[in-house]
Amino acid sequence: MIKKIFIIFVSILIILWFLTPVFLIVLASLTPSEDYYDQQRILPKRLTFDHLYKLFVVLDGWRATLNSLQVAAMAIGLSFLVGLPAGYVLTRYVFPGKNAIRLSILLTRSFPTLIIAVPLIMIYLRLGIGDTLFSVALAHTSFILPFVVLITTSILSGISVEYEEAGMIFGLSRIGAFMKITLPLALPGLAASAIFAFIMSWNEVFISSVLTFVNRTLPAQILNTAMTSPDYFKFAAGTVMAIPAMVFIFFTRKYLMSMWGISLK
Amino acid sequence: MAKVRIENLKKYFGSVKALNGIDIEIKDGKFVVLLGPSGCGKTTLLRCISGLEKVTEGKIFFDSTDVTNLPPKSRNVSMVFQSYAVWPHMKVYENIAYPMKIKGYDKNKIEEKVLWAAKTLNISELLDRYPAQLSGGQRQRVAVARAIVLEPEVLLMDEPLSNLDALLRVSMRSELKKLQERLGTTTIYVTHDQVEAMTMGDEIAVMQNGVIQQYGTPEEIYHKPANVFVAGFIGSPQMNFMEVQILKEKNELFLRNESLNIRLTDDLKTELGNKIQNKNDVFILGIRPENIHKEKTDISKFEPIEGKVYFIERLGSDTIVHLEFKGTRIVSKLPGDVKINEGESLKMYIDLSKIHVFSKIDGKALI
Repeated sequence: MIKKIFIIFVSILIILWFLTPVFLIVLASLTPSEDYYDQQRILPKRLTFDHLYKLFVVLDGWRATLNSLQVAAMAIGLSFLVGLPAGYVLTRYVFPGKNAIRLSILLTRSFPTLIIAVPLIMIYLRLGIGDTLFSVALAHTSFILPFVVLITTSILSGISVEYEEAGMIFGLSRIGAFMKITLPLALPGLAASAIFAFIMSWNEVFISSVLTFVNRTLPAQILNTAMTSPDYFKFAAGTVMAIPAMVFIFFTRKYLMSMWGISLK
Repeated sequence: MAKVRIENLKKYFGSVKALNGIDIEIKDGKFVVLLGPSGCGKTTLLRCISGLEKVTEGKIFFDSTDVTNLPPKSRNVSMVFQSYAVWPHMKVYENIAYPMKIKGYDKNKIEEKVLWAAKTLNISELLDRYPAQLSGGQRQRVAVARAIVLEPEVLLMDEPLSNLDALLRVSMRSELKKLQERLGTTTIYVTHDQVEAMTMGDEIAVMQNGVIQQYGTPEEIYHKPANVFVAGFIGSPQMNFMEVQILKEKNELFLRNESLNIRLTDDLKTELGNKIQNKNDVFILGIRPENIHKEKTDISKFEPIEGKVYFIERLGSDTIVHLEFKGTRIVSKLPGDVKINEGESLKMYIDLSKIHVFSKIDGKALI
């Protein structure tokens, strides 16, 4: 009994620890400016969507949101186009250098973005894709791809190769067996990793800010506009950034856990 | 239905020689068991026949068609996997129907054949379920139904019974065998269980180290093992082995070591006499436990041995006696009701018409 109470108590503490800042951010983003600057007041008299509206419409937030979605979609598409076959090969085949590839796959993350940012801009300008969403998507792909490879490797290795072989015995080609048998079985996990990839791209600030000027993604846009605005705009921006990610994670948490090999009953 | 012929088949995984020169001809409609210990290459051979594994060297023929380089889907083979590999995202009906759907059969034909296969395997009432809702035995039946529905030329089974509990395994054994007899499909069945092999196979290929050690009927394999490995692998308890020398004295042949001195019967003498070149060679004498008796009869010649009973296993139907005999232990299989106690001394008789002699050098059987 005491143990149970203790567990509940600790759980509440943890929940408060994580949710209080989020609550305060969301609250501040909905607080009218006169209440926000009133030193006597903690909770606002009324709530307003004014800041959010201004952020989206006046400060071009909606365009940046569209940009972010496009960049994320392209980055996810590219990552899976390359990462899924790579994960398949790492799971199903034995070849020299396999372990080396597995180990070094995260190496791209060991270069600080700061160092590669300027060379990256130069290369993009030379290729004629400077300041485009595609260039940002490419940069995002470079850090999403390793995760996609690792995740698909672990998802595919959880699907018995005999299912696929049975498909091949009963009339499918190797590719056909992958598409018709393995892929449907892997789909929930792959969907979860796609959402994880989406969040990685959605939240990325630095590369997007450096690489784009006109076509900014949402985080880059916020960094450039809201950060020089009054505080409640900053909070509104925080809300806009945090809520979609939290909602996605909430709905896919089961798969995200299993994707990393942790089971959540 | 087809005859399967394999010529000098080799399969290497890097430097590991999984199959090292397989030659076998399987007659149309036979139930052939590939039997051997883990790692002997039996599953690799099956996978080469299915096309899931590319061969390094050699040829595989179904009737007169060379299928060596054909992908699995072009070979008209079916397979029952060890894990059953019943697709979890399809219902039982869809699982059985899928091979036909891929091949573009029309809907009525598919339904007719699925219902036939389901009825044959007694799973008609399960068609609407997902594999996760089935027991292991039921999943096994689905896998078999899926394998026979297209009436393949060759049916391959990779240890299909190894995941079932003991009772179910025994009943499935006879059921699978009867099913194969009814369908008349050439069947190749992989197992490491010698009882399965002996009861189900029309013919057995005993494998070790990527080579077929002996190919023959269960009777041949059991009574005329081709070498020491086959003799030791088949039969439980294992055959007794002893090193002996063969000595010639006054026109008689003797098998002799520190503890034994057996004069060979005339039949064996003529059979063995021609095969012995160097009389200093060492040979291996093999005697099956059931050929060592407590009483002798007049039907054949017996060699008595006397020792102390070291250990007794009472299995109900049989009694396994471990006899300490001049420094070696000899295992004998007696009826279940014999009265023997551990520690007492016992005289037993080796049936000389049933002994085996192998060359120590290459292990080959001489008699």
